[in-house]
Amino acid sequence: MFYHISLEHEILLHPRYFGPQLLDTVKQKLYIEVEGTCSGKYGFIIAITTIDSIGAGLIQPGQGFVVYPVKCKAIVFRPFKGEVLDAIVTQVNKVGMFAQIGPLTCFISHHSIPADMEFCPNVNPPCYKSKQEDNVIQEEDVIRLKIVGTRVDATGIFAIGTLMDDYLGLVTQ
Amino acid sequence: MEFSSAVAELEGCRHTTVMKEMCAECGADLRIDDEPKREVAVVPMVHSVPELKVSEELAQKLGREDAGRLLKDRKLVLLVDLDQTLVHTTNDNIPPNLKGVLHFFLRGPGSPGRWCHTRLRPKTQEFLESAASNYELHVCTFGARQYAHAIADLLDPEKKYFSHRILSRDECFDARTKAANLKALFPCGDNMVCIIDDREDVWRHATNLIHVRPYSFFQSTGDINAPPPPVDEKPKLPSGKNGAQTPNSQEMPSLDPEPDQKGEKEKPSEGGNGKIIKETKADDANKAKEATDSEENDKADAEPRWVETADGQIEVEDPDDYLIYLDDILKRIHKHFYDLYDKMGKNQIPDLKCVIPEVKSKVLAGTSLVFSGLVPTHQKLETSRAYLVAKSLGAVVTQDFTDSTTHLVAVRAGTAKVNASRRIGDGKPNKLHVVTPDWLWTCAERWERVDERLYPLQRGGQSSSRRPPAHCSSPPPAPPIPAPAAALRKRTPSGRFMDTINPLLSFSSDDIADMDREVEDIFNESDESSSDDEKQGDDDLDDEENPPEDRLLSLEAESSQDRLKATQDAESSSDSDLDDETPRPRKRPRKSSPQSDDEPPDDDDSSWNLMGAALEREFLAQD
Repeated sequence: MFYHISLEHEILLHPRYFGPQLLDTVKQKLYIEVEGTCSGKYGFIIAITTIDSIGAGLIQPGQGFVVYPVKCKAIVFRPFKGEVLDAIVTQVNKVGMFAQIGPLTCFISHHSIPADMEFCPNVNPPCYKSKQEDNVIQEEDVIRLKIVGTRVDATGIFAIGTLMDDYLGLVTQ
Repeated sequence: MEFSSAVAELEGCRHTTVMKEMCAECGADLRIDDEPKREVAVVPMVHSVPELKVSEELAQKLGREDAGRLLKDRKLVLLVDLDQTLVHTTNDNIPPNLKGVLHFFLRGPGSPGRWCHTRLRPKTQEFLESAASNYELHVCTFGARQYAHAIADLLDPEKKYFSHRILSRDECFDARTKAANLKALFPCGDNMVCIIDDREDVWRHATNLIHVRPYSFFQSTGDINAPPPPVDEKPKLPSGKNGAQTPNSQEMPSLDPEPDQKGEKEKPSEGGNGKIIKETKADDANKAKEATDSEENDKADAEPRWVETADGQIEVEDPDDYLIYLDDILKRIHKHFYDLYDKMGKNQIPDLKCVIPEVKSKVLAGTSLVFSGLVPTHQKLETSRAYLVAKSLGAVVTQDFTDSTTHLVAVRAGTAKVNASRRIGDGKPNKLHVVTPDWLWTCAERWERVDERLYPLQRGGQSSSRRPPAHCSSPPPAPPIPAPAAALRKRTPSGRFMDTINPLLSFSSDDIADMDREVEDIFNESDESSSDDEKQGDDDLDDEENPPEDRLLSLEAESSQDRLKATQDAESSSDSDLDDETPRPRKRPRKSSPQSDDEPPDDDDSSWNLMGAALEREFLAQD
C-alpha cells in the first residue's frame, strides 16, 4: 500500500560544502540518502515530495561536520499481508516462481499456484501452463497475486505470495 | 456416516517450502515460532537462489519428476564448468583490439569493480548447441554469482541453454568442492549427471567427470576463480594503474546527484583504462612476441599465437580444438547411456558413474601396450600413472612383449625394448606400433585412438614427457593429481613450483660436478636402459610421491637463505647441464636437475626470477 507520510531525517554535511549553496546541498543529499531506501517501519521510500523544514545545523565538536535535522514528506510503499498486487514474473522454476512488484521481490510456491497449472521446463523460457494450454505464465508476464507473508529486514522486504484465490493469476491486457 | 465419526483431520502446514525462513505455502514466519522444532526444508534446489529450500520429501518428488522428464526427452544432465573449460578470463590489462575477446565490467558490492576480459574457447557456440540437444546444461562454476551470470549471458544471451541453472561460488556449500552441491541439486541421485571440468579435485575425482584439457588463452593468467587451497589470485585489479582511480570519490561524503551520473563518472576512468592500455600496448605486443617465441620451446602445442594485422586488430591464431573432441565424447556417452537404458527395460536407469568409465574403456580396447622408459623400475607397473591411464582407456598393459602386443610406448629410442621391438617388427610387419607417450596422452585427452603414425618414436629426438599431463586422468584408482590447472600456467611443466626444486640442488656446484662424473661412470659401465630406468625411478618418486610439504619438512634444517641460493644454483647448473647435454641427446644423463627433462631447453632469466619469487612466497607462507 502507498502512503504519503512525514519523515524526519538527519543530514551529516562535510564542512567543504559550507557556502552559498549550502541548503541546496542539504536538499540534494537528502534525496540521495533517502529515496530508494527501505526501512522496516515505513517500507520502501519511493520519492520525497516536499521538504518542510531544514532545522538549524549543529556543528559536531572536534569534527567540523554539521548535522541538519530535516523534515519532509515522502511517498512510501509498504506491503501488507493479504494485500493484492500486480507483479511482473522474473523467474520460473520447478519450485515456484519469483515476481517483482517494483522494489519488492515476491516468491510464489508451486503449491500456491492453481493445481491445474504444471511446470514446463522444456520450453524457452520455462513456464507454468494449464492442461488446456489456455493459461500460460512465463517470465515477463504480469500476474495478480495476494501477499500471504512478508519478511521485513533492516535493509529490505521480501514477500510470499499466492495465486490461489478468486481473480488472481495472469492479467490479460 | 455414523454420528461422531471423524470427517476430516486438520493438519497444520508442514512448511515444506521455505524462502528466507518464511514458509512459502502459508506465509508463516519460521524465525519466531519454530525455534525448538527441527526444520523440515533443508534442500536448496534452485541453483541461483540458495535461500529457497524445500523438504527432503518434496526434493525427492521434484527430482523424480526431473529424471522422468529427462528420460522421456532422452536427455542427460551436463554440468559445465566455465573458467578454463569454456572460457578464459583475465583481469590484466590487455590490448583492447584483440579479436574475439569480450570485455565487461563487474561492479562488486564492496569493491570498486573490475574489468574482465573473456575469450570463449573456439567452437563454444557449436559445442553448446550440439550438447544442448542431448543434455540439459547447467553451469557450475567457482566464479562469483555476478561473474557467472555475466559469462552465461555472453555464452547464451537467449537463455536457451542454461536458463536459470547457474550455480556459482555464492551458492556453493563448500569453498573447495562442487561435489557437495550435487546432492541438493539432484536429490534422487546423480546417476544421470555428467560433468565437464578442467579440475578433478573440486569434484573429488568423481567417475562421471570428463576431465577436459584446460583452456588457456591469456598467457599470464591462470584460473581467476580457482578455489582457495592453491594461491587464490582472485579479483584484485593489477593495482597501481587503475586501482587508484576509482575509489577516491567514496572517501569523502559524496554528493553525486544521481546514481546514473555516478556511472558516467566512472566512464572517464574507463577511458583512462583504455589509455593506459594504449600506452602499454607496445609492451604488450612485445610480450606477445616473447610469448610466441617461448612457445616455440614450450611443449604445449595448443597455445594461441598472437599476430597483429594491418588494420589494428590483433588476430589470434588459436589452435585449440578440444571442444570438437569433447562434443564427440559427450555424444558417445549419451548414446551408450540410452542404449543401455533401452536394453535394461523400464524402471531401471543406468548410472553414468559406470557408463562413463565404460565408454572410456572402449577407446583403446583390444590394444596391448608395453612401456619402455615410462615406469621406473622399482615402481610397480600397476601403480604408475601411465598404467592407470592406459588401463582406464581399456588397453592391456604388459611388462614385456607378448604375442598380442600391439604398441610399444617408449620415452626414447635406444632402450632394450625398442631394439627388441625392431626384431619383433621384422617378423610380423605392420603389427607393432612404436610410439611416444604423447600418443597415449593424446588418446586419453580425446578419448579416441589417435593415428599412431602421428607419434613415431624418433631416434635421438626430444623425448616427450613421461608423466601424463594433468588432464589425462584415470579416475578410479589414480592418486590425486599434483598439478592443479591454475598452476599449469607457471611454465614449470609439473605445475607446482616445489616439484622443480630438488634437494640435491642445495649442493655446491663442485659437489654436483662430482656427482655428474659419478653418474657418467655408471652410465659408461652398466647397461644403458636399466640404469636409465633406475634414475627415472628416483626422479619419479621425487616428483610424484612426495608432496611438497614433505619435502619442505625434510629441508627444515637448512636455512631459507640456502634454499634461495639453491634456486640460483638450479639456474646455473641446469643451464650448464643442458649445455653439455645438447651434443649427445641420445644418452641424456639426467644428473642433478631432474626437471631438465621436461624443461624447455633455454628457459629465460625472467621465468627463473619468477620462480624465485614464487619460492620465496612459499617459504614465507610456510613460516
